[in-house]
Amino acid sequence: MLEGGPEGSDQLSCQQRISVPVVQNTDERAAFDEVFLPHLSEAYRLAHWITGNASDAEDIVQEAAIRAFRGIKTFGAVNARAWSLTIVRNTAFSWLAKNKPKTVVFLNDLSEAERQQVEYGPHGAGIETPEQIALAKADAEEVQKALARLPVQFREVIVLREMNEMNYRDIAEITNVPIGTVMSRLSRGRRLLSALLRGRE
Amino acid sequence: MIDLLKDNDELLLNAYCDGELDPASASEFERRLSSDTALRARYDRLLNLRRAVCSVPEPEMPAGLQARILSRLDQPRPETDQPSHVGALRRRNWSYRALAAAAVFGAVISSSVMMTMEQYARRENVASEVVAGHIRGLLAPQPYDIASSDRHTVKPWFTGRLPSSPQVPDLSAQGFTLLGGRVDVIGRDPVATIVYKHAAHTISLTTLRASQSVPDQAIAGYNVRSWSDPDFTYVAVSDLPSADLAAFERAFSASTPAPEIK
Repeated sequence: MLEGGPEGSDQLSCQQRISVPVVQNTDERAAFDEVFLPHLSEAYRLAHWITGNASDAEDIVQEAAIRAFRGIKTFGAVNARAWSLTIVRNTAFSWLAKNKPKTVVFLNDLSEAERQQVEYGPHGAGIETPEQIALAKADAEEVQKALARLPVQFREVIVLREMNEMNYRDIAEITNVPIGTVMSRLSRGRRLLSALLRGRE
Repeated sequence: MIDLLKDNDELLLNAYCDGELDPASASEFERRLSSDTALRARYDRLLNLRRAVCSVPEPEMPAGLQARILSRLDQPRPETDQPSHVGALRRRNWSYRALAAAAVFGAVISSSVMMTMEQYARRENVASEVVAGHIRGLLAPQPYDIASSDRHTVKPWFTGRLPSSPQVPDLSAQGFTLLGGRVDVIGRDPVATIVYKHAAHTISLTTLRASQSVPDQAIAGYNVRSWSDPDFTYVAVSDLPSADLAAFERAFSASTPAPEIK
């Protein structure tokens, strides 16, 4: 259920073949333009949400674009958007694992007790109407700050769901976890976000 | 998925808000929502939270990032595999280069012809596979896997099964009654097929990945008509005359169904 950080980030490079450069490049380039390019701004936003930082997001998208280009043959013609965002997401996680920015919290950065509380804590208890009132007042900036404080595994499922409007199946594919985990992370993440917003005063 | 949800209202609530419940579970949950005030309060709270999250402005992609990426891709790839070889070739006389250029030119020409032929064959194949799906549908007890004249039932049914699902407009006003939907397999991809009825004729509307072109034609006595929008390539198959299929295309393209309400 829990995963450390980067997953599957290297799977693209091993599919790469270097031969007959001229013809193949034209082909790959056309495929890249069709498959990856339409999702570029969404890719950038996802990278920005994961890292919380514009210049890192830009580096990640550039790197992801190159990975996508080299691995374009592995695209299985099913869902170009999910395929593209998977690469961006994995590139971002590799980047996080390498650079370990202090602002990004991973689930496994938390102590065991905190993690248990966050991921498996009791349902339903504790959150009552005051929060609803608090939420009505929360402005976009506060929500943004609260989002940035979420462990990244929660933030990414919330962002994929709310900003990218992805369904559970695509989120599961992109984040490389089972649908059940997507569901529990969404639910936990939203509860945690509510709690952060409620406790912000 | 439902077993997992049964005793877990929190997940159920989230899945309901996200439009991920199948229609039966969703309507059961709606019944509970209307009678259970505590559940209703949690639902409202979740909606509030989602609204708040959606109000956060999205970061804008910097202008010029796309151009920077493309120019990086267009730079020749460093030839790490056989550098000494290349150098040796270059030192020889020009005829090698001419030969190489000719070979490359030839490869480009023949490969583009091959590609065109391959695409042509694939297009033919797609059309006959779509027709085969239609015929199978007619031979089966009913031509659909989900029977419903309600587009709000058919669309989520597709959403739960396929990576991308088309809009399912109600065209009964134009004389095309929605019967239901099924999943056909074209090539190796499962795709959504919406089934309509016009007089006594069944129409299968198969939705393929966008930007494929399938020529209008008749296969095995069925008329095939295809058109595209940015999301999908549509292939309609029916024993209707092609003029009626054209009317169907117009009705389908003109219908802009209201956005799905979660």
